[in-house]
Amino acid sequence: MNLIFSHRRISGLLAVVPANERSFVEDMANFNSPPARSLKLKQVMGYDKHRVVDGPVCASDLACFGLEHLFASGTVARDGCDALIVVTQSPDYLMPPTSSVIQGRLGLKHDMFCLDINQGCAGFLIGLFEAFALLEQPAVRKVALVNVDVMSRKTSPRDRNSYPLVGDAASIAIVERSDDGTPIHANLKMDGTRREALMIPAGGLRLPCSPETAEMEDDGDNNFRAKDNLRMDGSAVFNFVQVEVPPMIRDLLQTAKAAMEDVDFFLFHQPNRFMLHKLADQMNIPYERMPSNIVELYGNSSGVTIPMAIVHNLRERLLTGSIRACLAGFGVGLTWSSMLIRLGPLDFCELIDYK
Amino acid sequence: MDGFYEKIAEILEVDTLNPSEELANFPEWDSLSVLSVIAMIGSDYGVNLTAADLRGVATAQALRDLVTGRRGR
Repeated sequence: MNLIFSHRRISGLLAVVPANERSFVEDMANFNSPPARSLKLKQVMGYDKHRVVDGPVCASDLACFGLEHLFASGTVARDGCDALIVVTQSPDYLMPPTSSVIQGRLGLKHDMFCLDINQGCAGFLIGLFEAFALLEQPAVRKVALVNVDVMSRKTSPRDRNSYPLVGDAASIAIVERSDDGTPIHANLKMDGTRREALMIPAGGLRLPCSPETAEMEDDGDNNFRAKDNLRMDGSAVFNFVQVEVPPMIRDLLQTAKAAMEDVDFFLFHQPNRFMLHKLADQMNIPYERMPSNIVELYGNSSGVTIPMAIVHNLRERLLTGSIRACLAGFGVGLTWSSMLIRLGPLDFCELIDYK
Repeated sequence: MDGFYEKIAEILEVDTLNPSEELANFPEWDSLSVLSVIAMIGSDYGVNLTAADLRGVATAQALRDLVTGRRGR
């Protein structure tokens, strides 16, 4: 479906990554495949380093750290946000919502709309749609959109399909009304029949965690993982992205009556460098207009990767000026979505380490 | 298309390659090899294949034909 908004802007972006860094070469010791083969994977996919939490760090820990940083630096007032949206697929608890955990831990005001959304790699866009909608209410002047995941804790270190690319991170986007009436075009599609391409089979009520679901099994491809772990059908996901994303972007630009050249940057979810290069090739987008360096530096942190790509690559530019950006997210659900939006100038645009 | 089979042989980690042998018979023909082939064909021959394109391809000969056909477009 096509969506359209106006008079909305992102006024600031903060990304939080764990200080703890692991390298692909360290990870290789856990894989059940010859080192030469693993090094080839590193080269093809563009893996190098990734940031993962050290110990039992939860989504709310990263989020509270980031929000406290904003309060302390004076960029956002503690009672300055009227809504807190938390997009995560690795919540602290099944209940209560992680947004309530964060609200309580930070002592935020009661006059506040707290909302959790269970979404992954398209989660930054889904979160923006909800933030834009909440801003229809006069009482909601400022929304804190938090994207956060600690998927390394749900990923088997012996799963070469997933572990080397996973990264933990949080981002906080402040979303507000603006005077700019330029339409913000977006689109969104979902296909729940392909829901098992990316899933954690156990841990919900359908299959509760038990000693059996914790048992490591060989999937037949030398990767060992338990039903408690993230399971990704890599080929199905690769195929999904190649087939669905380019037409989605074409449709978006057509609806917005914009040409490829009108877009300064294509800021896409970061599954890995290889897939992004393939997308750029398919759509004839020069690599320098589509950053693809987040996985090799920090890992793939699901819904946090678009803010990460922005903060890491465009910080200086967005603090002083603005760009026309095409955002796109695609993943769990399956869900795929894109948006054409003007970004900047931002009040803050920063990446900090969680220690 | 010089050296095409040599490049495929290198990905499959074999010294020589019979173009009509089933790719599925090679122990190294796994998801990583599929990605490596897609990457190599994109960078060396300028043809963008999808994972789905490769599904119907049984042999290195058929793969070469596919790439030749796409280049001709």
